[in-house]
Amino acid sequence: MPLEPVAQSLSAVFGAPEAHDLSLFFNLSLLLDFSLFRDLSLFLDLPLFLDLPFREGYVRSIIYVSLYVSVTAVTLSTLFSVPVAVLVGFSEFPGKRFVKSVVNTGMGFPSVVVGLLVLFAVSNQGPLGSLELVFTREAMIMSQFVLATPPITAITLAAVSGVDDGVRDAARALGGTRLDVALVVLKEARYGIATAILAGFGRAVSEVGSVLIVGGNITSADGISKTRTLTTAIQLEARQGQYETAMVLGAVLVALVLTVNAVVVHFGDEGVTR
Amino acid sequence: MLRATGVSQSFGGERVFDDLSVEVDAGEVLGVIGPSGVGKTTLLRTLALSLEPDEGTVALDGTDAWAAEESDRLALRRRVGMVFQEASLFDASVRRNVEYGLRVRSAWSDRIAAAVGLAETPDAVHESLDVVGLADKASQHAASLSGGEAQRVSFARALAYDPDVLLLDEPTSDLDPRNTAVIEDAIAEARDRDIGVVVATHDMHQAERVADRVAVLLDDGITEVGSTERIFEDPSDERTRKFISGELVY
Repeated sequence: MPLEPVAQSLSAVFGAPEAHDLSLFFNLSLLLDFSLFRDLSLFLDLPLFLDLPFREGYVRSIIYVSLYVSVTAVTLSTLFSVPVAVLVGFSEFPGKRFVKSVVNTGMGFPSVVVGLLVLFAVSNQGPLGSLELVFTREAMIMSQFVLATPPITAITLAAVSGVDDGVRDAARALGGTRLDVALVVLKEARYGIATAILAGFGRAVSEVGSVLIVGGNITSADGISKTRTLTTAIQLEARQGQYETAMVLGAVLVALVLTVNAVVVHFGDEGVTR
Repeated sequence: MLRATGVSQSFGGERVFDDLSVEVDAGEVLGVIGPSGVGKTTLLRTLALSLEPDEGTVALDGTDAWAAEESDRLALRRRVGMVFQEASLFDASVRRNVEYGLRVRSAWSDRIAAAVGLAETPDAVHESLDVVGLADKASQHAASLSGGEAQRVSFARALAYDPDVLLLDEPTSDLDPRNTAVIEDAIAEARDRDIGVVVATHDMHQAERVADRVAVLLDDGITEVGSTERIFEDPSDERTRKFISGELVY
């Protein structure tokens, strides 16, 4: 709910609040909403972060959880997807086109459905119920793994399949084993694979629905994130009208994605000169 | 040294060649001439042990490659080098391209050291690049080379690990006269190193220039094998004579 108009209405009724009239703000914060207190303080031009009810380390813990969950999920997904893509790309078998279609379809799979399926899997009645993973980071990793795997596999498969047959032939004719040929193909396809990993990371780190369902968007009593990620925090802050905080968290999220992208491109460019 | 005996190959149920026999010895250049699409590339891939023949044997120094264990066949395959019509260089520097054949034959620890730049470039890399006149291009990226230079690097790449047999599939079909001359000189250098060379070409003049013996491959297999001089001046097979004189048009 946009709170600035509310604050303006209140100031119209009660008159412009004085900075020293703290009791008014205390009462308002109890009567209306804790978040309104922040908007009223903004109304008084107080510094943005000075009065946020966040404990020290709140934002940092959100970034940590986001990175921990997404990087772990994408790493696991890469370790799974790249060999699968190479295997599928290198071999001819009945139903190969069907496998490709399934993988491509997976790219558009609704994330909330993935979250729901993972939640069922880890719930008490689910097959992984005994592991007690409901509302844990591990469950979030599982759901992000499921989401990141199709794009990483599909884009890697396209990249591997796009490597010139002549390069494979040359590697083999020069004495390479199957493993050597596979390594050459992976190296030739490295930009495509980097793009695949970036796409997977992008999908994982910007995902809201499934991590909200399986993670629960939880913070501890001291305000430190347990399963709250940048996206779920942005969703919560925006819903509570804390647009400035949501924007800051959004900027952090964009900066993270840009940084990861820049690192991958940098190392890719370095590899070319070798 | 490398001998194919009675080999047959087919793709998709269609016979490429049947009951074909050919051999090359150390320090000899064998030219395989014939029109495009007659199966020269398939023959060379068969000799390179990349394709298993439907029938017949391919033996190196008397060892039947396809009757051997896979590890033994790999060892045999590594004694044969092949240069394709397209250079197909790796997306790396010229040096990395040329040292590839040496690296795959070395221990993994050495390969990792080379991959992270901790290993010295083997002398054979510089020597091979010198043969094709590109020693000064070692540090350049392969993509920066012209088509002719790329093909010369491709030749150096196969020469670097000192194969016993070198198979060249239309190595100069897309090259200008200068680069063609460099490749032909490099073929002579390979022969001087006691390497057996097989050159598949549709350029009969080139075969005449570089080959010691010539095999003529037409639709129904090899029609004739003999010394270059005899094949071009006095072919015994009527189809060979017509092909060489240009009367047999494809």
